[in-house]
Amino acid sequence: MKILVCITNVPDTTAKITFAESDTKLNKTGIQFIIGPYDDYALARAVELKEQNGGTVTVLNVGEAEGEPQIRKALAIGADDAIRVNAEPTDSYFVASQIAHIAQQNNYDLILMGRESIDFNSGVVHGLVGEMLGIPSFSPVMKLDIEGSTAKFAREIDGGKEYMEAPLPLVFGCQEPIADWKIPNMRGIMTARTKPLQVVEPVAVDDMAINEKYTQPAAKGECKMIPVEDVEKLVTLLRTEAKVL
Amino acid sequence: MAVKTFSRDHLHFVLYEVLGMEEVTAHEYFNGHSRETFDMILEAATELAEEYLQPAYRAVDREEPQLSDGQVKVHPLVHKFYHAYTESGLMAATFPNEWDGQQLPRTIAAAVQFILSSANNSFVMFTDLVKGVANVLLQFGSEEQKALYLPKLLSGQWAATMCLTESQAGSSLSDITTMAVPAGEAAYHIKGQKIFISAGDQDITENIIHLVLARIEGAPAGVKGISLFIVPKNRPGADGKLVPNGVESIGIYHKMGQKATPAMHLEFGGSGTCVGYLLGEANRGLQYMFQLMNSARLEVGLAGVSVASLAYCTSLQYARERVQGRRADAKDPNTPPAPIIQHPDVRRMLLIQKAFTEGTLALILQCYKYLDLLKVSEGPQKQHYLDLLELLTPVAKTYGSEEGNRSVYQALQVLGGYGYTTDFPVEQIARDARIFPVYEGTTGIQSIALLGRQIPQNNAQAVDLWSEQVMPDIQVALESEALQLYADQLNQSIEAWKSVTGLLLRIREERGNEAYLANATLYMQLFGILNVAWQWLRMATVAEKALSGSTVTTERKDFYHSKIQTMKFFYNYELTKCKVLCEQLTSEEQLSVYNPEAEILI
Repeated sequence: MKILVCITNVPDTTAKITFAESDTKLNKTGIQFIIGPYDDYALARAVELKEQNGGTVTVLNVGEAEGEPQIRKALAIGADDAIRVNAEPTDSYFVASQIAHIAQQNNYDLILMGRESIDFNSGVVHGLVGEMLGIPSFSPVMKLDIEGSTAKFAREIDGGKEYMEAPLPLVFGCQEPIADWKIPNMRGIMTARTKPLQVVEPVAVDDMAINEKYTQPAAKGECKMIPVEDVEKLVTLLRTEAKVL
Repeated sequence: MAVKTFSRDHLHFVLYEVLGMEEVTAHEYFNGHSRETFDMILEAATELAEEYLQPAYRAVDREEPQLSDGQVKVHPLVHKFYHAYTESGLMAATFPNEWDGQQLPRTIAAAVQFILSSANNSFVMFTDLVKGVANVLLQFGSEEQKALYLPKLLSGQWAATMCLTESQAGSSLSDITTMAVPAGEAAYHIKGQKIFISAGDQDITENIIHLVLARIEGAPAGVKGISLFIVPKNRPGADGKLVPNGVESIGIYHKMGQKATPAMHLEFGGSGTCVGYLLGEANRGLQYMFQLMNSARLEVGLAGVSVASLAYCTSLQYARERVQGRRADAKDPNTPPAPIIQHPDVRRMLLIQKAFTEGTLALILQCYKYLDLLKVSEGPQKQHYLDLLELLTPVAKTYGSEEGNRSVYQALQVLGGYGYTTDFPVEQIARDARIFPVYEGTTGIQSIALLGRQIPQNNAQAVDLWSEQVMPDIQVALESEALQLYADQLNQSIEAWKSVTGLLLRIREERGNEAYLANATLYMQLFGILNVAWQWLRMATVAEKALSGSTVTTERKDFYHSKIQTMKFFYNYELTKCKVLCEQLTSEEQLSVYNPEAEILI
């Protein structure tokens, strides 16, 4: 079984976000980058499936060279090889087009990725990839098993879970608890250095979106403590200041 | 979201910009590593800390291990960590490839240890002991012993302890009475009791290998008659199955801190036969055990820095968020209150912590780098690193643990009344930290080792040895206009230290050891400050050079500037103490020396 896992390279959840170039770009100075947490779960499940069923796991990242430490980490966790599409990921359509282009050349049985990245959080890349390849895509998938050429999986829906099965190939957007989160071990780290990492140039894609400007969310207001006996004041403030009633 | 427990930027600065790890990886033994592997290992350690250590820190403090029917049960979260740690491969990481290790430099392993300990200092005692015992077996064990024990220990299948202390002997190991009676083929029947045995019993692993100091029947009195024995909790029977080996848990101590790790009172051979196996040669046990002890001493110093780092991060965050009072010159009562980080006295307390944590981390990692270079050196060069480590290990242990406590004290004070409550972790950190100046050799013992043994031996050669390490760094700093003043201050303090050392050595000749060693702890303080001042000058020199580069970013400029300013703080507030210490050390009135004819303590 050939599995492709697509990973994003996103700022650490504790990073302080600021903007550069007249608020049109993320200021990357001093930011620690990590593999997207949902992608981490997808990768962990891919490695487990490989251990159970045999096959290979290839990691794909659309990004610049500064993201290679995260790719090496994915190799340390258990992927066999990696491909980096050498381009700044400008929008979901661009990223999906690059993934689809690579997938068309390699006949993967499974294409896994996080249900969304945690920087732009579009959550549409898996759907776009499925559409471009002409194969079904499902998200958010929280349980996944493979039996022969069939995937049996559970998807989160409003108020519960939907249990489904479908023939491979498939695209999945994944989330916890699809697998136990994996920390690279010493052996994995030492072998990751020599695993193949292929760098390819992107295919041309028309710009579908232009980021004009980013802004920070408004600062949190001061917390007001209202005594429990003064419910009327609370209601008044909710009406006049918070304007939620 | 995980709360920060250490500064990643500072750790990387010390490893890559100050220590220069490429000097280590240039050696064939370590050349499988590079900054790329180091970074991945440090990040993996951070994830391990965030997943298994930090979330468990408070919980295990409230639920102590329990001794029931002769068996200790530890908290389930300790089990989870132990298994995750062994799966990570970190247990064997520094060991040679032939033992399934990765030949990781000890310096990087120490950085990993710092990350883990800053998240939860008592969990790592379980794993540290296994690594330490495995290292002693690797150096001194027979081929059969290595083949039997090392794979089990390095895979984490079996755990280990070291058993030195006895109730009647305490720090005075020459008075231990545990006996070993020959029982054929390097086997002995062990009989005696040991106290304060960390991780001496637990329900995580199927077996525990105790390294026990004992006297073979008829051995000479004192330290020259002590041997070292491998004593398994369960010994392999004829069919290979493990059978109880007469090691009993007869008591568990209820401690002030570090509650995740049981401190045990063990009895060997009390109600059944306890078989021990001689490690190395008879009567050389203390020498072997000191291999483990020296490693443990560096780890204790590092633990002092680690918990101080957690306390510093906690108090720094609190000071940034806690709004209280107004700045001293704000006369208008309508002025909004200021975050307490703006008040000079709070800043002073935070700077004490920053200067200690960052400076002492650099010193201890420097010691680990000497260990790595020792590993790959031969002949006189090997002896050089050995001598440096003999000299600096007691300093790293003592300065890290004593000043670590002082640093945590400052964090408690920054939090005010909240620091005294269980709402914040600093009260727990303070309880945990208090053991560091006590175990693995008290501050008094370390100080006597420094002044009584390391300094005077070979005509006080250690003074020159240390000075030769420091002087090149002073010379470089003297050439910098910005650092000249501080390099000069350090130079003068070193001259004063040399002068005091000479005077003390004369006192030794004229008035004996008791007068000579009476203020050994003050001498340790003095030498500790000089060592950390040296590290700060090195760091400031690197920062100063980096600031003159053309490509440094604004954020990085702030980082380097902070290093130089913290160096100045250390020199102003700590190095200046050397003058007073020198005066105390040379005082004619030796009031602490026991005089039965004029006892003061009445």
